[in-house]
Amino acid sequence: MKPFQYLRPKTIAEAISMATDYPEAQYIAGGTNLVELMKRGIASPSKLIDINHLPLKKIEHRYDRLRIGALALNSDVAKHKSVLSRQPLLAQALLAGASGQLRNMATVGGNLLQRTRCSYFYDLALPCNKRKPGTGCGAEAGINRTHAIFFAGNGFGGNEKSSCIAVHPSDMCVALAALDTEVVINGTSGERRVPLKDFHRLSTLQPELDTNLQPGELVTAIEVTDNAFAQHSHYLKVRDRASYAFALVSVAAALQMDGGRIWDARMALGGVAHKPWRYWAIDLMLRGQAPSEKLFREVAEHEMQSARATTQNAFKIKLTSNAIVAALKAATGIS
Amino acid sequence: MNRQSLDNPSDPSLSRVDGAAKVTGTATYSAEYAIPGLVHAVLVTSTIAKGSITAIDSREADAVPGVLAVISHINAMTIPGWPPKKQPAERVPPGTAFRVFYDSLIYFDGQPVAMVIAATHEQAMHAASLVRVTYQQEPHRTHFEKNIAHSGIPLNVQRAKNSPFQDYERGDAAALRDAHVRIEAEYTIPTQHHQPLEPHAIIAVWEAEDKLTVYDKNQGVKSAQGQLAQAFKLPRENVQVVATYIGGAFGSGIRVWPHTMAAVMAAKQLKLPVKLVLGREQMFTSVGYRPYTKQKISIGAVKDGRLAGIVHEGTGQTSMYEEHLERTVLASRALYACPHVATRYRLLPLDVNTPTWMRGPGDATGMFALESAMDELAYALKADPLEFRLKNYAESDPERNLPWSAKSLRECYELGAEKIGWKNRLPEPRSVKRNGMLLGYGMASSLYGFHRHPSKARAIMQADGSVIVQSATMDIGPGTGTAMTRIAAKVLGLNAKKVRFDLGHSALPDAPGQNGSSTIPSVGSAVHVACEALKSKLVALAGEMPEGRKSGGQLVVRNGRIFSSQDDKEGISYADILKYHYLNELEVTEESKSGAERDQYSMYSFGCHFVEVEVNPLTGEVRVTRAVTCADVGAIINYQTARSQSIGGVVGGIGMALMEHSEMDHRFGRYVTTDFASYHIPVHADVPPIEVYYIDKPDMQANPIGSKGLGEIAIVGVAAAIANAVFHATGKRVRELPITPDKLI
Amino acid sequence: MDIDHDAIPPDVPDEDRRFFLKQSMFIAGLSMAPVDFLQAALAPDDGPVGNAVKVKLSLTVNGKRRRISIDPRMTLLDVLRENMGLTGTKKGCDFGQCGACTVHVDGRRTLSCLTFAVMQHGSKVTTIEGLSDGEKLHPLQEAFIKHDGLQCGYCTPGQVMSGVACIREGHAGSAAEVREYMSGNLCRCGAYPNIVDAILEVKKEGAKV
Ligand SMILES: Cc1cc2nc3c(=O)[nH]c(=O)nc-3n(C[C@H](O)[C@H](O)[C@H](O)COP(=O)(O)OP(=O)(O)OC[C@H]3O[C@@H](n4cnc5c(N)ncnc54)[C@H](O)[C@@H]3O)c2cc1C
Ligand code: SF4
Ligand code: FES
Ligand code: FES
Repeated sequence: MKPFQYLRPKTIAEAISMATDYPEAQYIAGGTNLVELMKRGIASPSKLIDINHLPLKKIEHRYDRLRIGALALNSDVAKHKSVLSRQPLLAQALLAGASGQLRNMATVGGNLLQRTRCSYFYDLALPCNKRKPGTGCGAEAGINRTHAIFFAGNGFGGNEKSSCIAVHPSDMCVALAALDTEVVINGTSGERRVPLKDFHRLSTLQPELDTNLQPGELVTAIEVTDNAFAQHSHYLKVRDRASYAFALVSVAAALQMDGGRIWDARMALGGVAHKPWRYWAIDLMLRGQAPSEKLFREVAEHEMQSARATTQNAFKIKLTSNAIVAALKAATGIS
Repeated sequence: MNRQSLDNPSDPSLSRVDGAAKVTGTATYSAEYAIPGLVHAVLVTSTIAKGSITAIDSREADAVPGVLAVISHINAMTIPGWPPKKQPAERVPPGTAFRVFYDSLIYFDGQPVAMVIAATHEQAMHAASLVRVTYQQEPHRTHFEKNIAHSGIPLNVQRAKNSPFQDYERGDAAALRDAHVRIEAEYTIPTQHHQPLEPHAIIAVWEAEDKLTVYDKNQGVKSAQGQLAQAFKLPRENVQVVATYIGGAFGSGIRVWPHTMAAVMAAKQLKLPVKLVLGREQMFTSVGYRPYTKQKISIGAVKDGRLAGIVHEGTGQTSMYEEHLERTVLASRALYACPHVATRYRLLPLDVNTPTWMRGPGDATGMFALESAMDELAYALKADPLEFRLKNYAESDPERNLPWSAKSLRECYELGAEKIGWKNRLPEPRSVKRNGMLLGYGMASSLYGFHRHPSKARAIMQADGSVIVQSATMDIGPGTGTAMTRIAAKVLGLNAKKVRFDLGHSALPDAPGQNGSSTIPSVGSAVHVACEALKSKLVALAGEMPEGRKSGGQLVVRNGRIFSSQDDKEGISYADILKYHYLNELEVTEESKSGAERDQYSMYSFGCHFVEVEVNPLTGEVRVTRAVTCADVGAIINYQTARSQSIGGVVGGIGMALMEHSEMDHRFGRYVTTDFASYHIPVHADVPPIEVYYIDKPDMQANPIGSKGLGEIAIVGVAAAIANAVFHATGKRVRELPITPDKLI
Repeated sequence: MDIDHDAIPPDVPDEDRRFFLKQSMFIAGLSMAPVDFLQAALAPDDGPVGNAVKVKLSLTVNGKRRRISIDPRMTLLDVLRENMGLTGTKKGCDFGQCGACTVHVDGRRTLSCLTFAVMQHGSKVTTIEGLSDGEKLHPLQEAFIKHDGLQCGYCTPGQVMSGVACIREGHAGSAAEVREYMSGNLCRCGAYPNIVDAILEVKKEGAKV
C-alpha cells in the first residue's frame, strides 16, 4: 500500500474542500471496500479523507420521504423502525448482504459507491478495462460465470479496449432502484439531487467510471419517497452459498395489491448489469392483473428477451427469469 | 447425546485440553511468537505460468524506507544441500522438489520470484508491489481437458513394479460385458484448495551460524526438522521446529514448502529473525491443493443386484517437476465383493504447482465417482441404493484375499438408515416437496486405509504424582493432546487433570507427522505402551516398599494408587513411591509400531453418510438440511473431540460437493478465485445439525488401543452422498463438482 | 427490532472534535510543510496527528487507554497483533472475508482488518483478551469449551466475539437465526454446529453477556 496522509474533516464543507484541493485524495467511510482496494494497490490515494465524523448518520422520516444520511450504517438502517415499517424491501436487501460485522461498518454512501467484485478487477496481473482502461476486459473471454447479461443498448457496451461486463455487486442498491430513490450530493457548487437510476452508469466508453459522481463530490444522503409497497415487497437473492456471498442474481419486487389484483409494481434486478437493473416494462405488464405463476413467467420472459450471455453465463438468463417468478410469487404470496 | 457407547459411559468425555487457551486467544500460532528484532518478509510471485525471468528491477523497492533486502535467484545464498546451479539454467526432471530462488526458470504462475524484507509489514508489502520482474514467456499448458492426451502412467509407477498404483485387474472382463445392467459415466472434480483459516506462516531464527529455530506452520515437526537439516547440511539437533498450535491444515502442511525455505534463507542472509506470512491469494499457489481429477467408471450388475464388474480409471493433474500420486481408484478394489475389478491411474503434468494430499486424499475423489456410480446403478436396477450396497458387502478383503481385522460397516449402514429414516424415503426421484422445495435423500459409503507409523512417547512421573507425556506429534485441530491425555490418564488411572501432554516440538520423542489419520493409531499406541511401561516400573518400585512387600508382589493399580490387595483401603500413591525412592521424577520412553498383523489382516476404517437435501426448484440452490454420519474406526478414544472431527468432515464434504472450485483463466495459467469471496467454503448457514454415531468396537488386531483413524473417513463419501441426494430430489445427476445452481436449473 | 435512530451511538467522542486546527489554517499549513506544522502545533492528545509516515493517536483497548505512534497504513488488526501483542485477534484473510479478526469497537462487532487504526482514534476496542473477567471466562467462552465449538482454534476468538455480539444484538433467537447472523465467521474445521449450540445455550440460560 502506498503511504497516505490521513485527514479528518469535521464539516461537510471542509471535507469537500480537501477533496477538491487534492485530486489524489479519496473519502473513506466504513472502509470495507476501500481498504481492500488500497491493500491490493487498486486504489492508492495519497490523502485519505475520513468522513466518519461528519454529521451524516441520521435516519428520519420527513414529509413524504425517508431520508437516510450517507454515513448511516447498513445495520442501523436495516433495523430502523421507519425503514422497517415504510421500506421493508430496503431492510431485506441490506440484511441479504455481507455479514453482521460488515453491515456494522458499511455505510449507505459507501454501499452506493462500492466497486465491482470481478476477479480481474482485483488482480493487478490481469487485464481489466475498468482498473486500467485500454488493457482489455479479462472477463469477456475468460471466467465470466457471474458477469452481466444486460448491457447498454444491445451490445456489450464498448469496443475491445473499453468493454466491461462487470456487475454492480450491491444488494441495497437493487432495492433502492425498485423504489423511488434520490441521491443527495454535495460539491463545491452546493447540493444536487440525482435519481438513483441515473446515479450509476452502464459501461459504455468509460468502464472506469461506475457512477456519475463528479470528482470531489460527497454523497450526503439518500431519500426514498413514500409508497404503498410495504405489504407486498420481496427481495430474493440467489447465491453460491447460503450466506456471505455476493448475488449470482437478485430480484427486488415491490407491488401494491388490492382486491386480489396488482395495482402498481416496481422491479429491479441485481447481479445482472453494470448497474442495478431497473425493469421498467413490468409496471405496465402487471398493472390491473391478478397474480398467477403464468403471468409472472410471461413477465420474466419478456424481460429476458434483451439479455445476452457471454461465454459462461448463459444459465443466468434462465436463473434470472426463474428468480423473477420466485420473487413475484413471494411478494404476492401465491404458492 | 449421540453417544453409542464409551469405554465407560459414566465417564464423560474430556473437554479439549487446550480449549481455554484457544477461547481466550492465548494459544500461540506460528506467526505470533514475540521474537525481539523480528523483520517482515513479503513474497513477490510470478505472473506467468512458464518461461524465465529476464530481469528483476528492485531499485524502487530498495528505496522504500525500512527495506532491508530484496532477495531473488540473483542474490540468494547457495543452499548447501541443493545441487550446484546449472549455467544456463535447465529445467529439472520430474521428481525434483521445487527450489526457491534457485534459477531464473518459471514453472507455474504464483511461483515465488523475489522476497522483500523490511522493518515493518507495511513497508515490505509496499516495496513488494514495486519490484519489477520481466519475463521471457513460453507457451504453457494448464488446461486439464485440453491436454488430457499428455497424461500417462506416472514414472514412479513405471519404475516400481510393486506400486499400488500399477494397473490392476482381477476376474474376467467378460463379467462386466455380460452384466444385465451397466453404467458408464465420467466424473470430474475440479481443483480444490485446503485453505485452512490460518494462513501458512513462519518465523525463522538463526540462533547461531549453525543453529536454526523455526516457528513454522506444518503437520510434522520431525520431518520438517529433517528436511531443513538436510538442506542446510546441519546436524538434526541443530534445527528445532516448533508448531504447538496450528490453525488448520488438512494436508497443506505435510511438506516443507518453498516459502519456508525462503524465510530461512533470508534470516540466514540478513542475520535477523524473519517472519513470513502468506497472503490469502498466495495460499492458492504455495501449499498444494486437491488435484483436478477426471474419472471414468464402468460398472455393471446381474439381475439379482450382485455386482458383475467395476472398471475405474482416474487421471489427476500434477506439476511438471513432481509426481503427486493419490489413491483415487484404489477403493474400487476393496470396498465391494465384486468378481471383476480393473483400475488404471494416470497423471497429467501441467504448468502448475504440485498438488498435495487434502483431507481424504484420493479416496474423497475416488469415492465421489464410485459411490455416485453405485447410486446410478442402483436406480438403473430399480434397487434401493442401501440394499444394493448390502448385497455386495465384502466379508473379507477382495483385493488382498485377507480377512478384515474388523469391519462393522453393516452396523454403520443400519444405524445411519435408522437415524435418517431411510425406510420412509420414496424411491422415485423428484417425487417429494417440502415447503415448495424438492426433497431428496442420499447415502454413500466411506473407507480409508489404516496407517500406523513407528512412534515414540515419553512418560515422566513427577514427584507430585502428576505425569507429563511427550511426543513430537501434532495437533492441527483434531484434539491430539486431548486424546493422548485421555489414553495416559486411563492407563495410569489418573484424573486427566494430572496429565500434561506435550507436542509440536521437534525436540520431543519421534513421531510421524499428522496425516493419513495415523495419529491416534500410531502415537496413541506409543503413549499407551509408554504409560504401561511407566506403570510397571511404578509397580516394581512399589513392590520394594514395606507396604508393597507385604503383598508378595501381587499389586493392583486403581485410581492412580497402587494397592497390595483388593481390600487394601489406603494404597500407595505415585507420589509416595517417588518420595520413598528419593526420585524427583521417573521417566520411560517407549516405541510402538506395527508387526506381522499387517500381513495377516486387511485394515481399514469404514463408515457411511446419509444426507437430506432441499433443492429450490426455481433457483437450483441446494441446501443440506440434515446429515447423519456413522463410523467404524475401532475404539473411540474421546467421544467429544471425535464427534467434532466427524462433523468437520461432513462440513468439508458440503464444501466439496456444493461450492469449492478453484478456477483458472487458462489464457494466463492463473487462478482467478484467490480469496474467500470467490473461493467459497461453507459458512454457518450452509451447515445443518449433523448427527454422529460410532460403532466403537475396539479393533485389537490393529494396535494396543484398538483404535483406527477417523479424520479422513469423515469426509470420504460425503460429496457422493450429497450428489446422490440431489439426484433423488431433482432427477438430475451431476457428475461434475461442485453442484452449483447453474447445473440444476 | 424497534430501534430508534436516537439510540444509535453519538457520532464522535468529544475529544476528537478538536482534531485539527481551523480549516483555513489547516489547508494552508498542510500544503506547505505538513509534518512540522502538525507536529509543532498539536499535542498528541488532540487527535491523530502526523503525516504519511507516522501518526499519533489514542485507543482504549480492553479498558486501557493506549497512546501509540504508527504508520497510518496500519490496520487496527495489525496494531493489535504487531504493536500491542494482542495476538488473540486473528488474521485469516485480511480482506473482510473470514471474520477471524472480529473485535468490538464501541460495542459493535467490527472487522479489524478493514479499518485503519488511525480511523479508530478515540474508540473503545474490546478484543478476545478483554472479554473474560480476569481468570473467569465469559459464559460464551465456557460454552464453547463445553460444546467443543472449536478445533484448530484459529477462527475461535472471532467466533466468540461475533457470538457475544450476536446475542447482544438479539439475533440468537433460533438456530436458523444464529446461523445466518454468524455466517460472517468462517470455520474451515467445520465446528459450526457446536458453535451454534454454544450460542443458543448461553442465550437460553440468560447469563449476562
Ligand atoms: C467480504 C465482503 C462481502 C460483501 N458482501 C456484500 C453483499 O453481499 N452485498 C452487498 O451489497 N455488499 C456486500 N459487500 C460490500 C459492502 O456492502 C461494501 O463494501 C460497503 O457497503 C461499502 O461501504 P463503506 O462505507 O465501507 O465504503 P468505503 O469502503 O469506505 O468506501 C467505498 C467507496 O465509496 C466512497 N465513498 C464512501 N462514502 C462516500 C460518500 N459519502 N460520498 C462519496 N464517496 C463516498 C469511497 O471513497 C470509496 O471509493 C461485501 C463486502 C465484503 C468485504
Ligand atoms: S468485466 Fe469489467 S471489471 Fe471485469 S475484467 Fe472486464 S473490464 Fe475489468
Ligand atoms: S482477517 Fe479480517 S475478515 Fe478475515
Ligand atoms: S476451529 Fe479451525 S477454523 Fe474454526
